[in-house]
Amino acid sequence: MAGSTSKTVYDIFQSMEYGPTSSSTAAAQSWLELHSRSLGLFVDGKFVSPSERQTRVVVDASGQRLGSTVCAEDEDVTKAATSAVSGFKAWSGLSCYQRAKVFQSFGSVLQRHSQCLAELGDLVQTPAPASALIRLAQYYTGWAQLRDTLIPDWTPQGVVAVAVSDDCSLYSLLLKVLPALAVGSAVIVTPGHGTALPVLLVATIFMEAGLPAGTLNVITGKDLSLGIKVAQNPSINFATYAGNKMDGERLTRETAGCGVPVSCSMSASAICPFIVFESADIDSAVDGIIETAFKKKKDCQWVLCVQESVWESCMDRLKVRMAAMKCLPLSAESDRPIVDAAVQEAQQQGAIVIQPCQPPSSLSLYPPTVLSGVAPSCPSVVAPPPGPLLPALSFRTAAEGLTIGNHSPHGLAASIWTEDLILALESVKSLSVGTVWVNSHSVMDPSMCLSGVKDSGNCTDGGREGLFQFLRPRLSSPLPRSPPVSVDYARFGSTASRPVVPGETHAADSAQSPRSYMQFVAGKQCKAESGSSVSILAPDGAVIAYCPDGGRKDVRNAVEAAIKCQPGWRKRSPVARAQSLYSLAESLELRRRDMAMSLLAQTGIQLEEAEMEVELSISRICDWAALCDKEGGGMQSLPQSGSAMSFAEPLGVVGVVLPDGQPLLSLVSLLGAALAAGNAVVMVPSEKHPLPALEFIQVLQSSTLPDGLVSIVTGSRDQLTHALANHNVVQAIWYWGSQEGCQYLQYTCCSPLKNLWLHCLEEREAGKGGRDWAVSHPSLLEEMWRKATQWKSVWIPTA
Amino acid sequence: MSARNPGMQLDLEWVSKVRVNHQAVLKRAQQIQARKLAKKQWQAAWLLKAVTCIDLTTLAGDDTPSNVHRLCLKATQPIRHDLLKSMDMHDKDITTAAVCVYPARVADAVKSLKAANSSLPVASVATGFPAGQTHLQSRLEEVRLAVADGASEIDIVINRMLALTGQWEALYQEIRQFREACGEAHMKTILAVGELGTFTNVYKASLVAMMAGSDFIKTSTGKESVNATYPVAVVMVRAIRDYFMRTRHKVGFKPAGGIRTAKDSLVWLTLMKEELGDEWLRPDLFRLGASTLLADIERQVYHYVNGRYPAYHELPLA
Repeated sequence: MAGSTSKTVYDIFQSMEYGPTSSSTAAAQSWLELHSRSLGLFVDGKFVSPSERQTRVVVDASGQRLGSTVCAEDEDVTKAATSAVSGFKAWSGLSCYQRAKVFQSFGSVLQRHSQCLAELGDLVQTPAPASALIRLAQYYTGWAQLRDTLIPDWTPQGVVAVAVSDDCSLYSLLLKVLPALAVGSAVIVTPGHGTALPVLLVATIFMEAGLPAGTLNVITGKDLSLGIKVAQNPSINFATYAGNKMDGERLTRETAGCGVPVSCSMSASAICPFIVFESADIDSAVDGIIETAFKKKKDCQWVLCVQESVWESCMDRLKVRMAAMKCLPLSAESDRPIVDAAVQEAQQQGAIVIQPCQPPSSLSLYPPTVLSGVAPSCPSVVAPPPGPLLPALSFRTAAEGLTIGNHSPHGLAASIWTEDLILALESVKSLSVGTVWVNSHSVMDPSMCLSGVKDSGNCTDGGREGLFQFLRPRLSSPLPRSPPVSVDYARFGSTASRPVVPGETHAADSAQSPRSYMQFVAGKQCKAESGSSVSILAPDGAVIAYCPDGGRKDVRNAVEAAIKCQPGWRKRSPVARAQSLYSLAESLELRRRDMAMSLLAQTGIQLEEAEMEVELSISRICDWAALCDKEGGGMQSLPQSGSAMSFAEPLGVVGVVLPDGQPLLSLVSLLGAALAAGNAVVMVPSEKHPLPALEFIQVLQSSTLPDGLVSIVTGSRDQLTHALANHNVVQAIWYWGSQEGCQYLQYTCCSPLKNLWLHCLEEREAGKGGRDWAVSHPSLLEEMWRKATQWKSVWIPTA
Repeated sequence: MSARNPGMQLDLEWVSKVRVNHQAVLKRAQQIQARKLAKKQWQAAWLLKAVTCIDLTTLAGDDTPSNVHRLCLKATQPIRHDLLKSMDMHDKDITTAAVCVYPARVADAVKSLKAANSSLPVASVATGFPAGQTHLQSRLEEVRLAVADGASEIDIVINRMLALTGQWEALYQEIRQFREACGEAHMKTILAVGELGTFTNVYKASLVAMMAGSDFIKTSTGKESVNATYPVAVVMVRAIRDYFMRTRHKVGFKPAGGIRTAKDSLVWLTLMKEELGDEWLRPDLFRLGASTLLADIERQVYHYVNGRYPAYHELPLA
């Protein structure tokens, strides 16, 4: 603003320019001064500055040094973990009311210091709007109070590690930290570069509010490798991540095999469609896109999709609105060549560039730019470059608009604009994203859950649903911690099982030769593509039957069949789904004798016990049939005026690698959950006890379930797990198996992202953990149901 | 004054396609209001700009030649000379845009201004102001008489009955006739937005008024319960932009009623700058209908110059 002070009243009177506005940063500066501008680690309720550590300098927008943070080392991680363990004891030992009181007081202390926090956020360019943070505090005060009342029989995970990438927003970070604390967990945060100072300040505010020491530790580092170290620490029970995709994949891979469940919200790098239908208030839609697309710190990358009939009028308005806009700073000068190349490439592919002015010679600035008429395959749409670029493309019909919106590996959110109520609600249904904003964008509230579909995440944050990632049923046991084993990821599952060859059969009873079973793919009984079989052994080692030795191709066929019929199954009314499940129960009832015999032959249990398992299985299917139409989601209350809805949707195709124990009951429990929620299922029966599952094929065939909805593929567990892991359509894998298998899946299924539910069977044999499938506690059923669903929230603002 | 808006054929298809999302408009208005305003000389300059856009108004039953005379003199010298001088603005023609009176007082105003050697235009409200519930014949006659008395700007009110019942064709014809009656005088069309029910109706009425050849569209008479609000202004200026984009004719905007503080006037300027650009920040395309606003602006300017707030008696009466 050099020379601006010399402008006379008359100059300004003629030019009518906006003058400089400045905001005070006094409160934030004096907080920084209080800590001599070198912030330590926040461990055990106080700042500690271990000696001889590297530091990382934090600067403001103009490059001026604000202060520095410490780069923690292994020793500091251990200290933080120890502190968190004792913090967890103290915090989870309090009553809900006591925890709620701390939250309540956090809210009021936050209110007192909101100016300081907002100023600090401005300085480090990580917005920390007071109203949003106070709302978070108030919302989670309620959950702290109500945990035991509304979510009884669930217990906190323990010590939670929250890791974020450098580009994660403060809101996304706190949307992980606050619910974890509210349900009684202790948290270790490893903030990113931008969030470090604000989070340290939030931690001190929490201490002032009376949070027990150690419950919230903040340790800062150079990059994500610190977050990984924390997650690998054996005291951590659960790790969760928010930020860009690259770092999320890295964290997931590097913690594979540690036995710590990891959930990821890849919110920072998502590409979201901004769909303008012809029935929209075009001016408001253009206001919306102008407001959100050209921010320096974008929450997500938008792609503007406009219906052809209003394309001209939309582009004209964009041009007019953009004409007065100024150039925006790029995050680094090195971004400029990338931006230039992207714009040039888009132009070569026929896009028209709309800019208020030519790109300036200064490398650090770039004008807001619309790439109008790009092809959906253009790199600037598929892998958006940095900078204030907005790709815009047209569509002919509403249905085509939704197809274009869905045709992406991302699924965080979408903004749709129409005054047509029916079109809005139909679009909400068919968009495969976690959040749909109708006639609005980027509205965040803690009561509205945020969840990523496809590559945008495998967990839900916010709302009641978002609490469950930090909870587990009291009756379940946590995944045991263990050091990673050495797994050759390239070779896992590649060893073929030994097929049965002629002449080696020595049946126990030669009069009754073992039966050869078929597997079940696409509604038909069939052999394996390999043509080979493997033998099924009784507990005494005798061959009792043969089953096909399925492999990659069989899984592929099963998945192909599943994606064909899953959309239809999902669209069926919950009542119709319930009827199909009841028919499955009936069909099992008709074959109860055969099923009991197969259980007996396979596991060697008593007939009475086998009959009991069949009986329980029938009742379990009925549980799921009954639950089909009982979970309809609901309306949320937001401070703003409008309607917020959230409801559960199926994941798609779920791969289930079944446990050994109670082979029939575990099968129907998991199958029922997945089907009730609207999924298609590819099941791999236990390698040890496949017989009941093969017998169950008869039950499936005589039920009214659509063909292909459920497939059963037998064979080597590792080989089939490998096949499921490497089929990108499979959206979730529930796995009971070896530690290597768990580790392999976690390592492999982070790109594209799958929802994993991993269980290590070795531990069960050692007598620890393991699930008694006969227990049908509501919390266990709910856990399965939550694993089978993902959440969608919708925001329709009204005046 | 810039080129006048000749109007166009009534395009009912255009009118019927109008869609306005109420909450999105409210949000946009909030955004504009939340925009931080610059201080010091920027504030002073913007306030002076606001002064030059004011239609200094008196519309009371007890208006007489003497208070109209005072108003006219205030309009020619809206800010104390010494204050202007210290900002080096005393020779920059800082006057209000016009004075605005009832038809019967037009002659008084013209006389006073002439006596003061001022070329300031006199605007007159007309057509059965404020309700518009008189016969078309008498409303047209009112316009003609005001023009004959020397008014060079006429603020007409639309027939709300026609707008509320969707008789856009009839409304268009009425406004066309007013425009003819105005002759050379510029026509500002008052939509009385507080009585139009929905934003969609406001947008449609704005379009019809512009198609019929209004030079300005104006929010309200100042006599309805809801006057010039920012959201309704967002809707009207969008219609102006829409009309401009299709026809290339520029139509002005005049909010009126309830604009009392200097801060308000800055927000109004911001709204115009944001939505329509710098061209609409001049009196030929932007007017503020106000009576008490000027006093507050003058106080703020006094504060900018002297660093103190003046007592009310230190500034000349209007």
